[in-house]
Amino acid sequence: MSRELFLGRLRTGLAGLPPETISDYVSDYAAHFDEGIAAGRSEADVAAGLGDPARLARELKAEAGLKRWEAERNPSAAAGAIFAVLGLGVVDVLILLPILLPILGTLLGFAIASVVGFGAGAFVFVIGAFAGVARDVAAAMLAGLGVMAGFVSLGALTALVTIGLVNALVWYGRLHLKLLKPALEGGEVRS
Amino acid sequence: MPEAVQVQLKRGVLELCVLALLSRADAYAYDIAARLAAAIDMGEGTIYPLMRRMQSDGLVDTYLVESPSGPPRKYYRLTPAGRTSLSAQKVEWTSFSAAVGEILGDEK
Repeated sequence: MSRELFLGRLRTGLAGLPPETISDYVSDYAAHFDEGIAAGRSEADVAAGLGDPARLARELKAEAGLKRWEAERNPSAAAGAIFAVLGLGVVDVLILLPILLPILGTLLGFAIASVVGFGAGAFVFVIGAFAGVARDVAAAMLAGLGVMAGFVSLGALTALVTIGLVNALVWYGRLHLKLLKPALEGGEVRS
Repeated sequence: MPEAVQVQLKRGVLELCVLALLSRADAYAYDIAARLAAAIDMGEGTIYPLMRRMQSDGLVDTYLVESPSGPPRKYYRLTPAGRTSLSAQKVEWTSFSAAVGEILGDEK
């Protein structure tokens, strides 16, 4: 593989990372080629020594994705971390999906139920008070408030479980990175 | 020894090897990669992510040196934290490998 082809594949594989991070990584490997060629090696020989650029890019991206989830806990970072771990191929998707999908589905169901339930509570709170559906206004408002509070706590619980689940997935991914790629993760010898 | 086990063993001690190399003399990444590749048959590509992580962990820092051929080279040197980490890892490695050696010796 030529220098240009290797760097091109690396760059393609890194797509999605911040541009300055990509050019940082690529310039490391470009300098490696220059040094190797100055030492009298062929481009193909240097490329063979470096390994598969697509694989290197996946490892670099996975670590970047996990770091981001640790730094900022938001849905987009969570999705990034999950896809990074899946992209590494360390998680057997065929085994994991049948387990993950029902759990994700259930969580989504709880999230929707929280929103709908909260709306229903608000409905009872407002309409109950004005239309006199219940026997007296105060009872209707209290019932509405109770329903709303209940569903807010359901929503909070759902969020907690979701965060825990993503953390577990990241832990799982890191465990594999640790076993397979201490060069990236390291630190297990340090302690 | 199965190939997978060998790869994992090597990767586990890669950071220790880099710290040890740098404790003797500052070096640039290509030099580190070439020496480790020759000594323990490591993929040279794995050095770069490792150096980045070690730098962000504060174990090494870098400075630029003019190169006789081409652009300036980025040299790595150990920080005080890097030296501490090296001596801690060295102790762990020595006692671990001694323990494994003893068990293997007993089984002969």
